[in-house]
Amino acid sequence: MKLKVNRKYIDVFEGAEVRHALLSYFAWKGLDVKLVDTLTVYDNTGHEIDLNAPASQHEVVKFKLPKSETSKTKK
Amino acid sequence: MKKTLIALVLMLAMTTTASAERKELHILSGNDMHAAIECFPRLGFIADSLRALYPDLLILSAGDNRSGDPLNDMYEIPAYPMVVLMNQVGFDATTLGNHEFDSAQEGLARLIDLSAFPTLCSNVHPDPKWNMHLKPYTKFFKNGLTIGVIGVVQLGSMGLPESHPARMTEISFTDPLETVKQYEFLRKECDVVILLSHLGYDTDVEFSKDLPWVDMIIGGHTHTQLKGGEMHNNVFITQNVNRLKQITHSTVVVEDGKVISRTAENIAVRGEKNENKVIGELVRYFSENPAFHRVLATAETPFEDKEELGCLMVDAYVAETGADLSYQNSGGVRYETHEAGDFTVADVLRLDPFQNDAVELHVTGKEVSEMLIACYNNDNQRFPYVGGMKAEFTVDPATQKIKKLMLFDKDGKKLNLKKTYKVISNSYSVAVSPTNRKDQGESLGIITAKLIMDYLEHQGKVNYQGRRCLKQL
Repeated sequence: MKLKVNRKYIDVFEGAEVRHALLSYFAWKGLDVKLVDTLTVYDNTGHEIDLNAPASQHEVVKFKLPKSETSKTKK
Repeated sequence: MKKTLIALVLMLAMTTTASAERKELHILSGNDMHAAIECFPRLGFIADSLRALYPDLLILSAGDNRSGDPLNDMYEIPAYPMVVLMNQVGFDATTLGNHEFDSAQEGLARLIDLSAFPTLCSNVHPDPKWNMHLKPYTKFFKNGLTIGVIGVVQLGSMGLPESHPARMTEISFTDPLETVKQYEFLRKECDVVILLSHLGYDTDVEFSKDLPWVDMIIGGHTHTQLKGGEMHNNVFITQNVNRLKQITHSTVVVEDGKVISRTAENIAVRGEKNENKVIGELVRYFSENPAFHRVLATAETPFEDKEELGCLMVDAYVAETGADLSYQNSGGVRYETHEAGDFTVADVLRLDPFQNDAVELHVTGKEVSEMLIACYNNDNQRFPYVGGMKAEFTVDPATQKIKKLMLFDKDGKKLNLKKTYKVISNSYSVAVSPTNRKDQGESLGIITAKLIMDYLEHQGKVNYQGRRCLKQL
């Protein structure tokens, strides 16, 4: 099963939650997977969704890092 | 003349009064509560407060009431605490979410019977042998209004709700939209028609085009946070994220038998003050469940380090699923020692507290090797514990990257890199092991903690002293 996280297609297992897609995205990108729990996540219509939302119901998800974490990654 | 004028004024006044017959329906609705029992004292307080203002308050759930906390999901009667708490808050109805089927047929039938409110789901048709007392719809009579509520659940690609198929045998499911259309007659019989939907936000919006006779869709499943509600094709839609972070208070105004306004506001539940004390005591009672002290097995010797406990976990995954191999991220083993003696349900839930699902994959020996290295890289460079095999590896001292990895099967032979193996791991480990493998896996719909509990019960006695599955060269 595939879904698009920001601009990248991510493969996840059947029955995955949005959290798992984000974990895979962060793992692919070599980012700290612990940050996933700090994210605010949105669906393709711009509505906020939670990390436990079923991945199968979302073809596209987008996330924003909290400001404190954004400044850390810039360093 | 004077008499005529008085009569005219009186008639006008009466007409004005009649035309201004205005009634309000107040609804408190939640969705995807996922066993957030800790939020119920607060939810009870909100329901009490609104009921004081609006005695005919209608309280509805759009499904997925269970699956999210072992205090609820592993109760003697699984999910019984949520039913008791929903009864106490005064829910009027729920629909079925896909996770209601996690209780399996008999369990779900029992929960429905224990509920003081009806379970509405029009597109679920259980075989009579399950004695599952579902209703497709019901009517409520509140504040002089007749309200029709129809329930409906999402169907996945297999034509089944997203739960384990074995839990849905001898239950048939019909197309959600075509089924709901059969209840259009409610429009003539009711002042307000509500679809209690576990279909997801996008589907709710799509269905609004085909269901112009529905006034409101109270939605769930996609955990979508709407700001109050949204109007789509003149159908009002509400939904919240999961686990009772927020709920929705909707107001439907009916004037002269016609719905003239639909508005909604979100009310924060999680982390807020003021609680219903009776419900608080019930939650405390369920949280101190003596069943969690039930002894599953005897540890003949103490577990003296994390690897011994990790070996126990991966052995459980193999033994309880018939897999060839398994692995478990090191960070997911949550304590390092365990004394000899009783191994209880609570001990397992402390060892593996994350509610991760077991995931089954069919992957080659080479793909297993790549997954283990990816897991190592994303779990603070700690090698995962492995079951059904042993791992020997070397690490580059400068970069801490894995330089060489060798895997051996249970007979001590090198793992066949071309052979396909059935592998079990937890959902977190699989997610942090992204590789270009052919099979991404499938959730078994059971948490790994349950596999460990079953394994301990089946073993009766365990001895992991000195057990090793990893060797760093």
